[in-house]
Amino acid sequence: MNPAPRTAPTIPMIKVLGTISLLCGILIVFTQVTTLARIRHNKEALMHELIEQLLPGIQKQINYGIEPNGDLTILPGLEGEGRRIFAGYDAGGNFLGLVVETNDRGYADTINAMYAYQPDTRTITGFQVVDMRETPGLGDRIRSDPGFLENFKNIDASEAHPIVTVKHGTKKNSWEIDAISGATVSSRAVGRMLQKSVDEKAPIIARNLDRIKRGK
Amino acid sequence: MSDTAPSCHASTTATPADNPFLNGLWKQNPVFVQVLGMCPTLAITNSVRNAIAMGLATTFVLVFSNTLISMVRKIIPSQVRIASYIAIIATSVTIVGYLVDAISISVSKALGPFIPLIVANCIILERAEAFAAKKPVVKSFLDGLGMGLGFAFALTCLGTVREVLGAGTWLGIPLFGPHFEPWVLFVLPPGGFIALAIWLLTFSTFRSWRAKKKAAATPALVALSEVHS
Repeated sequence: MNPAPRTAPTIPMIKVLGTISLLCGILIVFTQVTTLARIRHNKEALMHELIEQLLPGIQKQINYGIEPNGDLTILPGLEGEGRRIFAGYDAGGNFLGLVVETNDRGYADTINAMYAYQPDTRTITGFQVVDMRETPGLGDRIRSDPGFLENFKNIDASEAHPIVTVKHGTKKNSWEIDAISGATVSSRAVGRMLQKSVDEKAPIIARNLDRIKRGK
Repeated sequence: MSDTAPSCHASTTATPADNPFLNGLWKQNPVFVQVLGMCPTLAITNSVRNAIAMGLATTFVLVFSNTLISMVRKIIPSQVRIASYIAIIATSVTIVGYLVDAISISVSKALGPFIPLIVANCIILERAEAFAAKKPVVKSFLDGLGMGLGFAFALTCLGTVREVLGAGTWLGIPLFGPHFEPWVLFVLPPGGFIALAIWLLTFSTFRSWRAKKKAAATPALVALSEVHS
């Protein structure tokens, strides 16, 4: 009778793999715990920087979370991505405006952005990209192109006209966005995301405006 | 463009006489000589900043995984060695992901999914299997460092060509003034292939020129030593 074929011992393999996996797990948890505070701080710093650029002169900020029924609640931190708005106030407590988050599909991936909104005049007064993967040199100019950003100094966001992106060089009205030549898809995404967000958030803001202005 | 094949190490094992650090940095440069890890090489070199960040992240993973694998190489049964290496490599990639987030959110966002994808970079497993699994800890550490910095160097070379021609900037600093019309092709995927081809051609031309020069110098040296003796 032939002897049974030699097989490698199973127990040492399980021991080694188990030990390595356990050590790897401990290392990952240790890194996660030690970097957690720093990562949160970085995210908050990025958000604050963008809000400061959108509402110059801001000294005090209140983060409101939007409840499913349309009411606002004051958030202690920056939680609730996508379901929150930021209200800015100057040193004297005067209301400066709101910063609202929005997103839409761009050329490569979802573009996440924020804009400054003046509820009294129903205008958009600033725009900043938070996160995107648009083509460098083309689509990513929505973050940096001075001509494109000039659009957002005063955009009519009232119900009278939808915000639309128009071909480069053909902007005539205050509700139009002059597209970047060669980056039409990304420019159009910006127009769409602003209109979508205004449709959704403007009624909620209007309903809670007194409270927001009082900073309560 | 999968570069996960663990079989790609066969021809590139370092000889013991080589300095493991310089070997990775220059003689066996992962991109210019071994032509490994092409996926991140082509995908994220559209700017110098991304290239440097990706190069440094890969260096960390190489150093960490090489050192750890070399430390445990004698206790790992050969049947489960690849599984063990992958567990160690995946851990170091996860750690580097957290570290990049902690250092700069904007860099982390720019690199996107390519940080987790370092785990599939052929160079990492190749160095684990071909070097760290057989060599002592210090040599493996130096090999990881050399290979990683060699990869970072190559990525920066590519990123430089692509950013300068494709955007008219270097590390975000404008180089040519407002009238420069960027050669956008270079920041798009085809530009990656073109820039890589230019660098590979330059590198191999330089290497063959050096080899010829060395070959020409060798008989003269032999003749000189004969005269002296």
